[in-house]
Amino acid sequence: MSPKILRINMSDLSSKWEDLPNEYETFAGRALTSSIVAKEVDPTCDPLGKFNKLVIAPGLLAGTTAPSSGRLSVGGKSPLTGGIKEANAGGLTGGKLGRLGINAIIIEGKLPSDTTDWYSILVQKDKCEIKKTSNYANMGLYNLIKKVWEDYPSKPGIIGCGIAGQRLSLCAGVFGNNIENSDPGRFAGRGGLGAVFGSKRIIAVITDDSGGEMPQAKDKEKFDSGRKKFVEALRKHPITGDLKDADGNPFGGLKNYGTNVLMNILSEAGALPTRNFSSGRFEGAAKISGEAVHELVDKVKEKLGDKSTGTYGHPCHPGCLIACSNVVPYEDSGEHHVGCLEYESAWALGANCGIDVLTDVTELNRLCNDIGLDTIEAGNTIAMFMEGGIIDLGDGPAAINLLKEAYNEKSVAGRLICSGTLVAGKTLGVTRIPVVKGQAQPAYDPRAIKGIGVTYSTTPMGADHTAGYTIAAEILGIKGKVTDPRSIEKSALSLTFQATTAFIDSMGYCLFIAFCILDDDNGFAGMMDTVNGFLGKDIDAGAYGTNILKQERSFNMKAGFTEKDDRLAEFFYNEPLPPHNVVFDVSDEELDKVYKNL
Amino acid sequence: MIETHLYGNLRSLVPGSKACEDTVLEKEFKEGETFLDFIKRLGLEMKNLGDCFIDGTLAKPEDVVKDGSRIALFPFNMVLLCGGQHIKGHGCTREDLDVNYY
Repeated sequence: MSPKILRINMSDLSSKWEDLPNEYETFAGRALTSSIVAKEVDPTCDPLGKFNKLVIAPGLLAGTTAPSSGRLSVGGKSPLTGGIKEANAGGLTGGKLGRLGINAIIIEGKLPSDTTDWYSILVQKDKCEIKKTSNYANMGLYNLIKKVWEDYPSKPGIIGCGIAGQRLSLCAGVFGNNIENSDPGRFAGRGGLGAVFGSKRIIAVITDDSGGEMPQAKDKEKFDSGRKKFVEALRKHPITGDLKDADGNPFGGLKNYGTNVLMNILSEAGALPTRNFSSGRFEGAAKISGEAVHELVDKVKEKLGDKSTGTYGHPCHPGCLIACSNVVPYEDSGEHHVGCLEYESAWALGANCGIDVLTDVTELNRLCNDIGLDTIEAGNTIAMFMEGGIIDLGDGPAAINLLKEAYNEKSVAGRLICSGTLVAGKTLGVTRIPVVKGQAQPAYDPRAIKGIGVTYSTTPMGADHTAGYTIAAEILGIKGKVTDPRSIEKSALSLTFQATTAFIDSMGYCLFIAFCILDDDNGFAGMMDTVNGFLGKDIDAGAYGTNILKQERSFNMKAGFTEKDDRLAEFFYNEPLPPHNVVFDVSDEELDKVYKNL
Repeated sequence: MIETHLYGNLRSLVPGSKACEDTVLEKEFKEGETFLDFIKRLGLEMKNLGDCFIDGTLAKPEDVVKDGSRIALFPFNMVLLCGGQHIKGHGCTREDLDVNYY
């Protein structure tokens, strides 16, 4: 199975297969999306115009037996930030593309602007069809994914855009169906790439891997022994590990409580942005936390038995061992309300809006999934409507009614709620707009956590919490004592965090392996062996990641970005955040050092 | 008085507690007591604990607990992850590296 690129031209509705160029031999996931975008997309182009491209690339190990390795990257020029974007998600499509030997799908060109038809791309083994699917337009995504599995009973992966993307809204994410096809919520959410799908008149990319094969490692022995070591490390770690311990007590933190385990922890740390970043602690945090979801799932299961769909310890993609996803059930019926409720979503639609009613937060998440919105951006946008005086802070039902306006094509409020935090904030006269490069900040206040503020400011992605995981310790060999925190090495540290994160983003591995591999040297070695074993050669993770950052940064510079764009919104510098009453005081000079020597 | 907020399996220290509410245990203040002494008073050991906070700052065993403090105790499987790891400055969840990242 030789690696292939599938190139789709929406100007003339044609497709062709290309060999993967030699220069991309070790590239996958984010490495491939960013390299292709940097090479083939004019950085000054209109992101919703003819010259932007969508690049869909599975991670390097997607479709193999490596644990938690089936992630998918979607890239392009972001209509929200105006810069390069990679958005990453689980779901079914990554693994299926891996099994089809498709390293990337490139979608380019554009139909005439008076086109009214909608299309979907059916990707199969050595085959691609561009189908007219106007009947898929204007549908809620829960219904759409059901319809697609009825039309294609092979249980394909489905990604694409919902109503928001079809209307070219800046907040539109790229949806992805979950394993059971019960939810479109595996979003490659950030940066408005759903609108790029919409601009190409594509609703869905449907991946059917019938007849596909598992990708084979070049050095099978190294891959297999690495995999075994890595699996063992993941299973016994208290964060990524098994659901219960030998005595039947809750063990693995992520399986039991999901990413939303962070709600209470961040609130106690005084770093949970509350009510549009006006405080660092939310009195209602416990009500919308991962523990509350765990308790609800158990309660409904006890009441309704198998009739309850609620669960935790749920994998977001086949082969994920970490399984941090969940399904929140309706309390009375046990039916599926949303899957899953992540920390970032519960924060954006909950704490940051002052909403502490779990069913309201869950309903808001479901609406975002149905309409096709990035929950982080949508939650911050709702906060703009609150601070702008349109609805009350903390009013869950009003926020729900506001989001529902998006279903009405003629509703201006509906369009505005899908337009993102910056546009909505400016329209509504809000001055405290928490964005960087036009993208809304996620669930960590940079005043209380300065390191994340450095990431928010400097990553080419715009305000992004996943861009600079603190995973460089092993790479830098600093697993020991590090002294002199005030030295220039801090900026170098941030760059290395971002580089090693970019590396993991390319491997197909979920970023959450980071929690295990730093603590467990065997886990780290096992993981690197799966990568090097698959490729048949050793790669330098730091250099690999740095190369990605170079290309992304260069694209952004050519798109017109300067150091001035590597800054937080002004209020973070002078409005103290309770309870610690701190401001973001990292100097411009320090921020500029991060990329100075790239 | 020390206002102790309990999470995860530590909520069992307060009978009838619910995960969707604040579980708070009030303990009398003891002059000069360290965080380690305090948790021992609750019948806990450091290995039972994840990331804990005294008035919103990460707690170290040798920290002296002041009167009126808010202490948050998280169990071993609840720690700062993701963006929260920048508070510690490194990605290790099981070790305490001596690094102050900003």
